[in-house]
Amino acid sequence: MKVFKIVILVLITGLVGIQFFPASLNQNNTITKTDFAKTFNAPNEIQNLLKKSCYDCHSNNTIYPWYSKVQPMAWMMEDHINEGKKELNFNEFGAYSKRKQKSKLKSIISQIKDGEMPLSSYTLMHGDATLSEKDKQLLVDWFTNVRDNLNK
Amino acid sequence: MKFFKTTITVATVFVFALFITSCKNEKKTANEEMNHETEMKSDNHNEMGHDNSDGHHDNDMATTSEKRDIQASTQKNAATTPIIDAYFQIKNGLVADDKDAAAKGGKALLAAFSGFDMSKLTGDTHKEYMEIYEDAKEQAEHIVKSPIDHQREHFETLTTDINDLITLLGTEKKMYQAFCPMANDGKGAIWLSEFKEIKNPYFGSKMLTCGSVQKEI
Repeated sequence: MKVFKIVILVLITGLVGIQFFPASLNQNNTITKTDFAKTFNAPNEIQNLLKKSCYDCHSNNTIYPWYSKVQPMAWMMEDHINEGKKELNFNEFGAYSKRKQKSKLKSIISQIKDGEMPLSSYTLMHGDATLSEKDKQLLVDWFTNVRDNLNK
Repeated sequence: MKFFKTTITVATVFVFALFITSCKNEKKTANEEMNHETEMKSDNHNEMGHDNSDGHHDNDMATTSEKRDIQASTQKNAATTPIIDAYFQIKNGLVADDKDAAAKGGKALLAAFSGFDMSKLTGDTHKEYMEIYEDAKEQAEHIVKSPIDHQREHFETLTTDINDLITLLGTEKKMYQAFCPMANDGKGAIWLSEFKEIKNPYFGSKMLTCGSVQKEI
């Protein structure tokens, strides 16, 4: 029992302790000229879907949930966001080379079609980010159109 | 046991308190964000602005002449060989439905690119090479870590890159460009092969001989 108490104590002290090491926040509150929606003149409907389902990890602005204030969640989230932005940053899409834009569009379309994005671990906590079949179709059609225009 | 219960209670209260306070915060920041849709000048993307204008590079190789003839896809250039060989390694992995072999090819491709000497490339050629390299590298990274259906998708994009690379810089290798009308969701896709015989990397054993040779390089 004594060992158990010590373990619990250490765990709790640790949990409290790491609260003092905050993660850096992904919040710029600005819209860049190179933003995807601007570059390709996305209609509002598309923009709203992207903001709701993608921008938390794939842009320079995250709308943080309450638990992001608690460690170690904040660190995990920071990692996810960094990885997400490295893969695809909608805010900087306009600055990508044509080649990169095309291959990113291809991946975006395929990920949405296969339901791999948004990640299920993300929609678990963000129910409203789940894309309905209709949403998916809308996005896939629109992205495909953008890609076809780039290929011309 | 009493101690244990107290600890749990304290911990629960602690988490609860955090929950309540941060919930408020979240609403506030969300509102702020709504009023904050300000415009901003895009910051200069410095990392994009590769400065290749220093002109220090020796220009003694025929393949690096400033004027590039896009049609001359068969320039002799041995420098691209390791890259093309690694690409074939990925392709052959996919033909054999062997995810690990394809991943190994992906690693080989990354190594081949880092071993490529681009100091002889100048101006537009360098710029285009960098774009191809950047994209191909990403595809290779995904091929290294993805399941086979994803590897095939990335291979398709990679093929475009390698094909453009050969058009840009040339090759000393003899190869064939084949076309599979069923790949890419029925839109069709090309691949490059060192063999004339059709062995389809997009479907592997499922449809090994689907496709036809379009041209010889």
